[in-house]
Amino acid sequence: MIADKTPSRAGKIARRTFLVAAGVVGGGLLVGAGAIAVRLRSVDSYKLPTSEGEAGFGAWLKFANDGMVEVVVPHQEMGQGIYALATLLAAEGLHLSPEAIRAAPAPIHARYANPVMLLDGLPIDGANVGQLQRATLWTFDKILRALGLQGTGGSTSTRNIAEPIRAAAASALDLLTRAAADRFNTQADKLKIAGGKIVAPDGKSATYGELAAEAAKLAPRDITVPPLAAGEYVGKGAPRFDVPPKVHGRARFGIDTREKGQLYAAIRHSPRIGGALTRASLPTNIAGVHGVVEGRDYVAVVADSFALATAALEKVDIVWDKSKGLKLSTKDVFASYRAALDKGADYKPRWVIDAAGDIGKASGRTVKATYDAPFLAHATMEPINATALVTETSAKVWAGHQSASLVQMLAAGAADLSSDAVEVFTPYLGGGFGRRADLGYIVKAVEIAKKFRGTPVQTIWSRAEDIRDDVYRPGAMVDVEATLDSKGQPTSFVYRIAVPSATDQFVARAMPSAKGGLMADRSTVDGALFPLYGLPNRSIENLTVDTGVPVGFWRSVGYSLNCFFVESFIDELAASAGAKPLHYRAMLLTAAGEYEPARRAAVLLDQMGRHDLANPLAPASGAAKIGRGFALTECFHSFVGQIADVEISGGDIRVRRVHAVVDCGFAIDPPNVVAQVRSAINFGLSAALFGKIEFDQGKVVQSNFDSYPVLTLDNAPDITVDIINSGADIGGIGEIGTPGIAPAVANAIFVATGKRLRSLPFALERA
Amino acid sequence: MSVDFTLNGHPASMASPPVTPLLWALRDEKNLVGVKFGCGVGLCGACTVIVDGQQTRSCLTRLADVAGKTVQTIEGLAGDVSTAVTQAWIKAQAPQCGYCQPGFVMAATAVISADPKQSRDQVLSQLTNICRCGSYDAIRLAVGYALDSLKGRIAPQSQGSAR
Repeated sequence: MIADKTPSRAGKIARRTFLVAAGVVGGGLLVGAGAIAVRLRSVDSYKLPTSEGEAGFGAWLKFANDGMVEVVVPHQEMGQGIYALATLLAAEGLHLSPEAIRAAPAPIHARYANPVMLLDGLPIDGANVGQLQRATLWTFDKILRALGLQGTGGSTSTRNIAEPIRAAAASALDLLTRAAADRFNTQADKLKIAGGKIVAPDGKSATYGELAAEAAKLAPRDITVPPLAAGEYVGKGAPRFDVPPKVHGRARFGIDTREKGQLYAAIRHSPRIGGALTRASLPTNIAGVHGVVEGRDYVAVVADSFALATAALEKVDIVWDKSKGLKLSTKDVFASYRAALDKGADYKPRWVIDAAGDIGKASGRTVKATYDAPFLAHATMEPINATALVTETSAKVWAGHQSASLVQMLAAGAADLSSDAVEVFTPYLGGGFGRRADLGYIVKAVEIAKKFRGTPVQTIWSRAEDIRDDVYRPGAMVDVEATLDSKGQPTSFVYRIAVPSATDQFVARAMPSAKGGLMADRSTVDGALFPLYGLPNRSIENLTVDTGVPVGFWRSVGYSLNCFFVESFIDELAASAGAKPLHYRAMLLTAAGEYEPARRAAVLLDQMGRHDLANPLAPASGAAKIGRGFALTECFHSFVGQIADVEISGGDIRVRRVHAVVDCGFAIDPPNVVAQVRSAINFGLSAALFGKIEFDQGKVVQSNFDSYPVLTLDNAPDITVDIINSGADIGGIGEIGTPGIAPAVANAIFVATGKRLRSLPFALERA
Repeated sequence: MSVDFTLNGHPASMASPPVTPLLWALRDEKNLVGVKFGCGVGLCGACTVIVDGQQTRSCLTRLADVAGKTVQTIEGLAGDVSTAVTQAWIKAQAPQCGYCQPGFVMAATAVISADPKQSRDQVLSQLTNICRCGSYDAIRLAVGYALDSLKGRIAPQSQGSAR
């Protein structure tokens, strides 16, 4: 994957992609980078464990005893559709129906590492890779594969496993064909493959299942994997096998774990963030209640049922250590940001993560603005929970999570066991959004179960605990300043964000011995660095301001902040230059010159312009004001253009429609691409309209969906999505809709009211 | 002291304390885990069951409140409307993470059962559940599919006289 990004090849792809993209706008078939046949090493050193009668084919596929083909997935299914995608790719490669394939969790093994997620965090512009960067990426890739960290996040699942699964399917088919050739005493190229059978010229045939055992004994050889292109299922999609059980209520989530003799724990954390417990006890015995667990910063009550545990928790005498924990309020956090920004270049730690040209030589008019955005909770639909069984020699954990290897490591630490003594079982996740990458809840569930050795204990966070024990999307403040020449072209662009580093905090929590803060956290400026637009003299800077509020990864991470700030500010520059938003962006993309992301973005912008013309803004109802806003974003190697139509009456902001144009290289499963983009837009819009987590003297103010509202059917917009298959390398999908919606709506509100909203969530004075 | 009622078509007698939220009694005593915990205060609808034909937030309902009543959970859904609803949900490929969907299916079944001739918007206005994945476009589609498929089957006579 990394070796593909040599400058020469990138250049070739860029030109070709541009031509192809220009020709297929509107959803035609693609040819391009994805269609270049890649010779992949299909001989796996690691083989899937198999039981009696099963035939294994390397690390990814096996033929099970019930006649199903099993493809293993080292990523968790949290709504992004990765299990269905794995079955779809295996079905295509094996010429089988997706119904003949079953996806199963991969074992915990270095073979299933996800280096993509971490490589995306390096401050390297993937579209502009020189020899030094290439060597860096190659080295990191090797190290990360050796470390073997499995993880789901950063919109990487498909990028991580699509090629290995395709290669595994092609290799398995090659083996099956060779086995059939041996059996029928003919040459492989004389055989036909149809409907899960291999047919000889004389009409004799054998099913894959009948050939599997013989095929699995043959030595795999290097083969050429067919190019990724539209086929029977690829590029079209197929019904997701997880849909019927989810509709019928049969799908099992972590919270549905039911082990024999299982007990339930209700948990309450220190009211103040980072606080500590002095002591806790139940004044009287209660039937069915098995005990109180005193944690560092929490109390848990363990009982026969969760209802009993919850009721008993109310009766526990709890003494918190009032000397510990945060005492700050929201205004203090933002005052710290303001103070850092006021120090500017003198503030430490300050990281200049992307600089180009010379900002000192800028000339022309100055436009500047200050933006801010609040802390946000994840509020996954399934509240945080985990079930653990700890014995003297082993532990089992059942939980939704975003990294099996980290769960294993952290559970082992909490249970005082070695990692290989810990088994991890992963049901469906009732939402992840980054929350389930931060695994403090696994540690706590194991700590609690450890007090009841030999008994499984399920610990469930109430919604209030779920919201108050979160690792929040960091609040942030930005000073941004540009100078414009007489044509409105930026001659300088200085962008400075005051924000804590979610990555540093994450590393500190997951690996307390590791030292954070040693390198720049690229994610803090994702969405601002390596701009699509021609900003030749620029400085993109992070001032790391950590006030102690726990922060983590929230769907689209830094992009959720910086795309709002940048794409709103670009609109401000357009207004200042007297240009229309789309025209201004087109001018800035042209100014980027020979830069592939800018060319891909230009194709999207074109499409947005066409949609804008063809679909005029519907008239307002009554005295309402209406407006249409645009935003263009690149994240996780995919590109999204958004058009938001808003209606404003009184102070109420209603987003009626959103149209998105998406280039993720090639949509393997287009219906799921549409679903993911809609999902991410609604996620971002909930935040833009309502989302904020506030602190009052160290306590989290919000606690449930009344104080932390999200969209419902009533106020969720109608969203349409156009897919452009540009043929570039595959990009992410799960998060890419989130960053662009806030700026598209802000820009629409500006059109409707003339008011520029620079603070999230949006608030307009009542008219 | 037990609470007796009809659960998914069968007589049920439950031993949990009568003040237990129905949600937890169903999940922990009856192992009906298709009834989901989402917020605990009636805001999200993940725990929706049907009590005497009405969509009901089981987290806010005490076990004692359903004594003598008829309770349906996703596990016990049966009949034309629920079949139409679940098939429509599958056709629309509505779920993503899927956690909220049983609650939506229950709410839609109750609302449509009350009057299968309602407009799609009328039905949607009575679905106040939360889907954190934001699958709302697909749910709108699914409700439309369900109503369409019921048109031909539930009230064929009314169609002729509709105008």
